[in-house]
Amino acid sequence: MKIEELSFEQALEKLEEVVKELEDEGISLEDSMQRFEQGIKLSSHCLKKLNEAEQKIEQLTRSEEGRLVTKELEVDTES
Amino acid sequence: MDSNNNTRIYSVSELNSLIRQDLESSFSNIWLEGEVSNFFFHNSRHMYFDLKDEESKVRVVMFYQNNRKLPFDIEEGLHIQVNGYVSVYEKRGEYQIIALDARPVGRGALIMAFEQLKEKLSRKGFFDSSIKKKIPMLPGKIGVATSIGGAVLKDIVSVLRKRFPNFHLIVRNVNVGGMTSAPDLCQALEDLCSYGVDVIIIARGGGSLEDLWGFNSEELACSIYKCGIPVISAVGHETDFTISDFVADLRAATPSVAAENVILDKNQVTGDIKGITGVMLERILHKVHTSRKHVKTLIDRRYFNRPLTVLGNRYQDVNMAYRDLVDSTSAIISNNRHREMRTAYRLVPDRIQTRINTYRLIIKNSSTRWMTRASDRMDSRKMKIDHIIESLEKNNPVNIIKRGFAVIYDTEKKENITSIDSVSIGDRIGVQLKDGHIKASVLEIIKKVIKVR
Repeated sequence: MKIEELSFEQALEKLEEVVKELEDEGISLEDSMQRFEQGIKLSSHCLKKLNEAEQKIEQLTRSEEGRLVTKELEVDTES
Repeated sequence: MDSNNNTRIYSVSELNSLIRQDLESSFSNIWLEGEVSNFFFHNSRHMYFDLKDEESKVRVVMFYQNNRKLPFDIEEGLHIQVNGYVSVYEKRGEYQIIALDARPVGRGALIMAFEQLKEKLSRKGFFDSSIKKKIPMLPGKIGVATSIGGAVLKDIVSVLRKRFPNFHLIVRNVNVGGMTSAPDLCQALEDLCSYGVDVIIIARGGGSLEDLWGFNSEELACSIYKCGIPVISAVGHETDFTISDFVADLRAATPSVAAENVILDKNQVTGDIKGITGVMLERILHKVHTSRKHVKTLIDRRYFNRPLTVLGNRYQDVNMAYRDLVDSTSAIISNNRHREMRTAYRLVPDRIQTRINTYRLIIKNSSTRWMTRASDRMDSRKMKIDHIIESLEKNNPVNIIKRGFAVIYDTEKKENITSIDSVSIGDRIGVQLKDGHIKASVLEIIKKVIKVR
């Protein structure tokens, strides 16, 4: 599976695996470079996922025909 | 006695039937409250009992198809409310209530009903931890079933805004108050499921046991149990427990706690990932450092003296890559200090990547390269030797003599004569040619310097 297609959880899990592998003293320089490269890709994918969406609050109702529809909802948390 | 032919004479069954129809239409849907007495559970599993208050009583029948769904057991002395219609048992001309639903009244009764339902659902496996679904760390859409005007929604939104500002919330308005909120709560779950969310919070604020009763219904328990999407139940205060809390995949003590559990803390996790990236960098630097040391150890071994330059070049490659990596890392770290974290994050991986690619290339090529260099060096050495041999060949005196030149020497001292100053008139000298010697004597000395360009 390509890194870009991983869910946040999957990517984070893989990232932790990579770190564990990197901490193994027996790993070769070549392999550790490869892991590191993968790790960097994974962490940047995770960070991308964290910033993907924008804040949105919607109310779920039914239209006159009975279809589920959403409309924007304002929630004032200041007062 | 007057005989009025117009007077209508009813038969008994006719009257009972008419009264039944009359009562059934007049009292087609009522709630009746009272204390259970003369309770009788028939073999057919229909229930017969009286409901009474201080003054009077009325007969109640609850058939099996209705009483089997009850979340509690009806028993003698229990204070309950029944829902149903008024009818007449025509055979006896007795009116009675046909109960379709019942619920306990009063705190004691509610607690009893709660305990009974909890026990029943527990036996059915509704609360098994093995069927609990995992709450996603980063849900795309968060569904909430709660009252839209209440403080609960504000609490949830307020926590989410702090915790993960770019959340996406889908709110389904539910009247969460009172004993009758269960059907709407079930419908809300269904709606949120069909609309498509990644996790659902069902929530309401604190209240009396009656206020929270909708969350103690078997109906809602079944809906949560069957729901394919993880459900968080957040009802009342910390000390309030409802059936929905037990069935849900996660029980949150309050709606605010639900919001804390429904999505990760963005700042914290961003920091964690930064930390992990740091650990990886540290490991890779350590690895490069170790490799560098390893190469140096090889160089230091005496028997590697000869290929020292070759190894030294490789050492230098590794060393340069290491310095490169350190430089770029410190650049990144100082960047992190000055830029907004998000920006820095976007930059870091790219920068490291470039460095890493360079580094990888150096390592990969270095082995090929040092071999090439060595062979280049060998070639140039060979050329030098060839040149020397050639030049030696050219300057070999034997070859010069071969070309017709001669060597003149002092026959006594056996030394070459290279200047007129070394001889006087009458001296005996020898002349070496390519095929033999000539013995001669000096007749005349003429000074003439040969100019060399």
